[in-house]
Amino acid sequence: MRRYELLQSIAPLLTDEFVICNLGFPSQELYSIRDTDHHFYMLGSMGLSSSIGLGLAMEIDNTVISIDGDGSVLMNLGTLSTIALEDRKNFILLIVDNGSYGSTGDQPTHTAKGTSLAAIAKAAGIASSVEVAGVDAAEKLAECLKTPGPHVIVAKVEPGSPALTPIPLSSLAIRDRFRDAVKQART
Amino acid sequence: MSAGDVNQALLADLKANGADFFVSVPCKLLGGFISTLEQDNEITYRAVNREEEGLGICTGAYLAGRTPVMVMQNTGVGTLITSLCSLGNYYRLPFLMVVSHRGSPGEPIGAQVPMGTAVETLLQTINVPTYMFSSPSDTKKIGQLVPFASVAEGPVAAILDYDFWGAR
Ligand SMILES: [Mg+2]
Repeated sequence: MRRYELLQSIAPLLTDEFVICNLGFPSQELYSIRDTDHHFYMLGSMGLSSSIGLGLAMEIDNTVISIDGDGSVLMNLGTLSTIALEDRKNFILLIVDNGSYGSTGDQPTHTAKGTSLAAIAKAAGIASSVEVAGVDAAEKLAECLKTPGPHVIVAKVEPGSPALTPIPLSSLAIRDRFRDAVKQART
Repeated sequence: MSAGDVNQALLADLKANGADFFVSVPCKLLGGFISTLEQDNEITYRAVNREEEGLGICTGAYLAGRTPVMVMQNTGVGTLITSLCSLGNYYRLPFLMVVSHRGSPGEPIGAQVPMGTAVETLLQTINVPTYMFSSPSDTKKIGQLVPFASVAEGPVAAILDYDFWGAR
C-alpha cells in the first residue's frame, strides 16, 4: 500500500473534522480523492503541518487531523513535545511513513534506516502513539476518532505516488474557504 | 519608565489592538515580557521550541479567528525565513512578530552581532514590513502594528532594541 491508497482508505471516515495536509504529493493526492472546505492544503513550509494543526486544535472543538510525512516530522520533532504538553483531546497527528522524501525523488529518510517516530512521540509524552501497517491505518484512525487524544498514528507504507497535477487552488483560496468553514463550525 | 512598566505597557497596547494569542521563544531581553505574558489570564500564551513551530501554531490560531503575536529574538529570524515566505507571505497571514534586537548597541556578546546586523535587511529582503523601536514610549505605535498586519495582509515585524527594554 502506498500513501495514495492509504488516503483512499481513510477518506470515508472524514466528516466534520478539519484536516491540515502536508505539501506536495500528499496534498495533491488528498485533493484528487476528496476535496472539501475542511481541508487546508500546504504549499510550502515543510515540517509545519503538525504545528498548524495543533494551533487550530487549541481553538476549536472539532477534531483536527494533521496529515504529515516522515521527512516533515523529522524536520520539526520539537513540536511533538508541545503537542504532548498541550494535551488536546481533539488532535490527531497521522504520519504517513513511507521512509522516503517522496515529493523530491524518493531519497530515503532516517525512518527507512531504523528511526521510530512512534517511539519518539511516545517519549515526547504522547501516550497514544502507535505504529501500524498502512492497511490497518483506517481502523486505527476510526478508533482514535472515538477516543480522546492527542493521538499519533504512524502508518507504514511503500514509497511512490500516482501521477497527479498541482492543486488548482490559490493559497488565498485555500486560506479563505478553510477559515470560513472553521468560522461556520464555531457558530 | 521602569523595565516592569514597559512590559505591562507593551502587553496592554497589544491587547488593546486585538492581540489575544501569543507564543514565544525566549531571549534575555524578553524575560520580563514573557513573565508578563505568563501571568495574563485574558490571553492564550504558549512557549514553543522554535520560531518555525511558533509560526505554524500562530497559523492554526489565525485560521480559527484569533489574532496571534510571536515573541522572539532576532536570531530566530534566520530560522524562519523559508516559512515566512512560503506560509506567512504566500498565504498572506496577518500576525505581528515582536522581536528583541540582540547584537545591537548594548550587546555584550560578540557572537550576537552578525545576526543583529543582518536582521532588518533579511526581513526587508523578503518583503516583511519591519519597524525599529528604541524608546519605551513607543508601545502605542507597536500595538498599532497588530491591525496594520491585517491591513498589510501579512506578517509584520517590530524590532525592539536595548534602549526600548531599558537594558543599557
Ligand atoms: Mg515520506
